[in-house]
Amino acid sequence: MNKQLAMVIDSSVCIDCKACTLACKVENNVPEGKWRNWVKRSEPDFNKPDWMVHSTSFHFQPGGCMHCEVPTCVQACPTGATYKDEKDGAVKVDPKLCIGCGSCIPACPYGARYRHPTRNIVDKCDYCEKRRARGELPACVVTCPTKARVFGDINDPKSDAALLLKKNQSVRVINKESDTKPNMYYLSATAPLNWPVKAKMPDPIQLWKMAGPLIWGIVGLNAIGVLIMLGKQILMNDKAPETDESHEETRQS
Amino acid sequence: MHWFNAGCWIFLFLTGLGLIQNDDLQPFTSWPTILRIVFGGGANLLLAHEIVGITWAGGFLLYGIIRLKSDVIPFFREIFNVDIHRDFLWLITKGIQMTLGYRALGIIAEKFGFSPIIPDQGFYNIGQKIFAIPAVFGGIVIVVSGVTMILSQVGMASTELVQWAILIHFITVGLVFAGLLIHVFMASIAAGEQPAFISMFTGSVPEDYARHHHKLWLDEVKKS
Repeated sequence: MNKQLAMVIDSSVCIDCKACTLACKVENNVPEGKWRNWVKRSEPDFNKPDWMVHSTSFHFQPGGCMHCEVPTCVQACPTGATYKDEKDGAVKVDPKLCIGCGSCIPACPYGARYRHPTRNIVDKCDYCEKRRARGELPACVVTCPTKARVFGDINDPKSDAALLLKKNQSVRVINKESDTKPNMYYLSATAPLNWPVKAKMPDPIQLWKMAGPLIWGIVGLNAIGVLIMLGKQILMNDKAPETDESHEETRQS
Repeated sequence: MHWFNAGCWIFLFLTGLGLIQNDDLQPFTSWPTILRIVFGGGANLLLAHEIVGITWAGGFLLYGIIRLKSDVIPFFREIFNVDIHRDFLWLITKGIQMTLGYRALGIIAEKFGFSPIIPDQGFYNIGQKIFAIPAVFGGIVIVVSGVTMILSQVGMASTELVQWAILIHFITVGLVFAGLLIHVFMASIAAGEQPAFISMFTGSVPEDYARHHHKLWLDEVKKS
């Protein structure tokens, strides 16, 4: 079975220190104002009695690119510059093929992507590819003081991530209208559970899906027309009635 | 210039098609995979497409400047020189003759009361002009949208503009390519066009060919 790198998160131990977001920024040179990962929080609800649902407390939820099973960002990329690597299951960006058109940015419901202001390409979490090449864990995972983030190959039954998933119940945080089947699992329960943002294909990409068959249809019709004309020319011989006007005749004379 | 254009077009069309790697947008799914193996990755494919694309646009720009008076202005004057009545009749009669034949043309012309004689044409016939105009302006649209994408790579951060440029690039190339199929057929395969095909290499056509296909032009050449 192929690898599937994933993150298993115990959000109940997250203390919102945001060390993971800083570690990521430093490790990956993430420019000012941009983030590859985040910590969300639930809004306390004072209308319900707290003894029932613990609704008056904050719940912190670390997140990042979820390297989804159904990556809408990949569906939005025209060139395959963003792709799901079959070898490790991670969603990657080829920095030399990406021209920074940003079609994938709104296509990600989680907002995990941004256009890098100086590299002029789309950037996102790559599970700290350089660190992993050295045999180290992603920066956010190593930094977390409460070990809320656990990273590993969930298809390898001996990995920490797989063991955690096996022993505990888990949930995925999704937008109900655009479930991208994220590879980020939250243990037991987490909040907020319903992701408010829906994946949005940019208008030009959506229009392309409709215009594509039309354009290819026109090309195809012309090709068929040309082929019919060619067949007719081979099979039939049509000569002009006025022989002096026809160069076919002139050539013979 | 024609063969420079043709060579660039074939290369750019094939590599451009290979750059579209997306199940929803690409009907020929194995083509991008094959090309990426040939070029050693999508990044090289993109680079090659961009280098040839810039060469193509730059070549035309240079040509346009150097040969403005001798070629470009006369070319534009010629392709926009349309005589509605004569050319419309040509389109009808030539169309019927090519598809249904001379006999059918005679019958249809008699029934609808127009002359079955195909009107004379100038240096280009109206069919050529109908392709030349969108080919030229399509070419400009292709270059502008292509340059927009390159600008994105060097710092123009307007992603929405770039996304539209990609779509416009695709649609324009598709439409011009559809016309190109007919262009190639008419120039190299169509009956009676062999002298025109040979002229693309020699630069001249036999007089009887010119009289038959481009009489108005022949008359002008003879006058001067």
